[in-house]
Amino acid sequence: MGMVTLTRTTVAGREKVRGRRHRGESLTKVLFVLPAAVAMVALFGYPVVKNLLMSLQDYGLKTFFTGAAPWVGLKNYSTVVTDKLFSDAMLNTALFTVGSIAFQFAIGLGLALFFHKKFPLSGVLRSLLLLPWLLPLIVSSATWRSILEQDNGILNRTLLKLHLIGDPVPWLNSPSVALIAVIGVNIWIGIPFNVTLLYSGLAEIPDELYEAGQLDGATGWRSFWYITWPNLRAVASVLLMLGVVYTIKVLDIILGLTGGGPANATQTLATQSYEKSFIDFKFGQGAALSNILIAISFVFAIFYLRGTRRAVDE
Amino acid sequence: MRRTTYTVIGVLVLCVMLFPVYWMVNASLQPSGNTLTAGFLPLHPTFSGYARALDEQGGNLVTSMIIAAGTVVLSLAIATPCAYALSQFRSRWVSIGLLAILISQMIPGIVIANALYTAYERIGLLNSIPGLIVANCSSGIPFAILILRSFMLSLPPSLVEAARVDGAGLFRAFVAIVLPISKNSLITAGLFSFLFSWSDFLFALTLTTKGGVRPVTLGIYQYLGTQVQNWNAVMATAVLSAIPAIVLLVAAQKYIAAGAIGGAVK
Amino acid sequence: MISKRIAAALAGATTVSLLLVACGDNGGGQSSASGDSVKSLTVLDYYNNDPDKSLVQKGLDSCASQLGITIQRETVPGDTLIQKVLQQASSKTLPDVLMLDNPDVQQIAATGALAPLNDMGLSGDGVIKGMVDATSYDGKLYGLAPVTNTIALFYNKDMLAEAGVQPPKTWEELKAAAKKLTKPGRYGMAFNANATYEGSWQFLPAMWTNGGDETDLTSPQVAEALQLWVDLVKSGSASKSVINWTQGDVKDQFVAGKAAMMINGPWQIPALQKTPNVKWDVVTFPLNKPDQTPVAPLGGEAWTVPLNKDQAKQQKAGDFVKCLNSDENELAWAKARFTIPTKTALLDQYVKEVPSMKAFTEQVKTARARTGKLGDKWPDAAKVIYQAIQLALTGKASAQDAFKQASGG
Repeated sequence: MGMVTLTRTTVAGREKVRGRRHRGESLTKVLFVLPAAVAMVALFGYPVVKNLLMSLQDYGLKTFFTGAAPWVGLKNYSTVVTDKLFSDAMLNTALFTVGSIAFQFAIGLGLALFFHKKFPLSGVLRSLLLLPWLLPLIVSSATWRSILEQDNGILNRTLLKLHLIGDPVPWLNSPSVALIAVIGVNIWIGIPFNVTLLYSGLAEIPDELYEAGQLDGATGWRSFWYITWPNLRAVASVLLMLGVVYTIKVLDIILGLTGGGPANATQTLATQSYEKSFIDFKFGQGAALSNILIAISFVFAIFYLRGTRRAVDE
Repeated sequence: MRRTTYTVIGVLVLCVMLFPVYWMVNASLQPSGNTLTAGFLPLHPTFSGYARALDEQGGNLVTSMIIAAGTVVLSLAIATPCAYALSQFRSRWVSIGLLAILISQMIPGIVIANALYTAYERIGLLNSIPGLIVANCSSGIPFAILILRSFMLSLPPSLVEAARVDGAGLFRAFVAIVLPISKNSLITAGLFSFLFSWSDFLFALTLTTKGGVRPVTLGIYQYLGTQVQNWNAVMATAVLSAIPAIVLLVAAQKYIAAGAIGGAVK
Repeated sequence: MISKRIAAALAGATTVSLLLVACGDNGGGQSSASGDSVKSLTVLDYYNNDPDKSLVQKGLDSCASQLGITIQRETVPGDTLIQKVLQQASSKTLPDVLMLDNPDVQQIAATGALAPLNDMGLSGDGVIKGMVDATSYDGKLYGLAPVTNTIALFYNKDMLAEAGVQPPKTWEELKAAAKKLTKPGRYGMAFNANATYEGSWQFLPAMWTNGGDETDLTSPQVAEALQLWVDLVKSGSASKSVINWTQGDVKDQFVAGKAAMMINGPWQIPALQKTPNVKWDVVTFPLNKPDQTPVAPLGGEAWTVPLNKDQAKQQKAGDFVKCLNSDENELAWAKARFTIPTKTALLDQYVKEVPSMKAFTEQVKTARARTGKLGDKWPDAAKVIYQAIQLALTGKASAQDAFKQASGG
């Protein structure tokens, strides 16, 4: 019944395993997941629970020294939601996230498709694209601050020389432009991530599929829509999902470029959470804000899970 | 279009994308790191920043390398079996597992760092390389699981079944069949684990209290004080530390071959 | 069904984490040993880069050898110090000697973490009153700062001479000079007005000199001070980028010849010395009306002693802080680090030995501490100040209304 003849080289233990195949198999299956499960609980269990508890307490500077944190229930949540900056921060977070991801993904996909064509040096060029990720964020934001400087920054100097603008653009100084500048820098940072993952996804698609498709007349745009995209969907959806989760909590870039200003024009929920915790020392409110962020990401996560479960069942 | 035209376009794209990196190199060659009077080309380069960086940051670079390498190995070792399980096994726990992993990605890093500080302080893992490796795995493992899983979803179960029919245990089949096929995604996941660890600053700052173990991201801060900032040394360090890393990245990317699964199904 | 499993998973996670918390309480096990068995002290500060790092080390080492102990020093980047302090507080591993920026002392003292220095034989006698106010809380002394600094008006001697302008003594002169000195490619004036406590700090000379006070930010004197900033930017004498610049950026502008005057502090002097072609000098902050005195904020860091289970160590730490505040050490640090001694008796001698610091020393004599009046409520006021500055300089509110808006009115 499908059993192969045992040879003398068969390890005795394996005979036993095959006899109790079902029970041993369940154990093996658990062992596949166990190290990861232990790691996740050890690394994340305590912080998640603590963050949740902290958002329900009046956790201030004193708490670190005395350990006393009076219980205030949902008061922190109501305080942060009625804060005058909250709706602006919400709007900015939405704009920042949607703006960043839309362009990162589109440009990333375009570049991935471009590099998918085989031409000399494509591998090296593709690797060099990851260079921005090797730079510490403090260096990237300092460099961008210098580039975007209104009076002397190289961007304005170049645009003026090329007569593309008449006056220097107040990239980081004007409340109306600053958010766009910050989104732009975030797109720049996100492109290598998108390109690399999408390229790997593209590389997985067998050439035979394309060849077969060509015989049926699917070339160019149609080959993308009927062959490339369906095979890329799994990678693309995890990419978008992670994109949302990571972008929503982006902090260092915004702090490095504008510090949340000018005049709070680039405040997002993430920067507000940081400010409440580490500048105002109202850790309970900061935790409440970060839990709100987590809840928003959670909604996207549910959508992703629904989509990916359907894919497995197909 | 001719092949070389693509190359030219590729180089142009790279020039635009990497201009800030070029600008950073430009700044590293300015005497004070001050780019306010800098033109497009560093006409009077000074290498004092590089001299300092080489002198003072060499050890930190090695530390960063070791930590990053350790993170890649540990993350992949733990994440790969789990990713396979979450992609192929049918169980109601799969959704829960995925949800937990996704939630972990939503936690602000600073919350994790503070929690780890308290734990490490008690068990004595502060100022240690293994400690930093484990901490960096908190970014590496969940990410690797999610990425690897999305690639492994397209693995035909028939492959593994064929191996099991031939007498291999589940784990043996996994090692012999799944791993080689997943080379692309393993390299990609490993690449990002490396990058997350290499550019980590938060754990490096929080989990070290003395100068003994010091990744290069923290080493940069000895040029950035409360009152005096030494930008050309900072930029020089960033440039120097990028070089060995980019060499590794180029080497790794060459291994991402096309269509690995296609051949196996036949 | 799923919710039961989620509950089970959560319960599991909670149990494990609670176990982690419970199992690990071997805490800061320092015994209440007695006698002269104190061999070393732990120190935490934020002088993490040279030249300050080694210069401070010299002072620490000299006091260590005087007391016959060794030092274990941890340095962190400036804006991460408080985070480190909080982490150490919750794991009960605060250092024996803790350096704090002077405006933070009252906030930390209010948590009960610090030991009063009076009980250990230290006092603020002979120290500039403003500094003693800053480092005292509830009538007790919690920290002592050996050296201090402040901000004043730097100017480029060549640029002013070329334009035939004298260093300004009044706000009108300042505005006129700035306007005259502004040319394509350079601004007359540069200062830092960014959305951090640094921006508030740079606003204080204008506010205090004009008689404004942090206890009443909506008063007309404060609005007038803000109007000075607004006038400078609106007239084009100062760049719009001031709302984003740090004090380091301001120095960069000055050094690159992009600004003829700047408000900054003496810690920038080593950087200024690196570009010898920029010849500079310093004057005290200009006055709005002739009967005013220039009042600037006091900077500098204080050394404190966190409460220690080990009484002997705590006393030793107190002695250590006392040594750091000795005349000898104050002068040594002041001369090497371009800072000013806090003991009034040493000021004249200091100016004799370091004449370039004359204007700063003058300024320090009348300077005020940020936390002098509001204590641990100062950060709230500081936030209102920088929010108001941002509103006014971006044109979102007039100087008169900015403070009302920023205070939540």
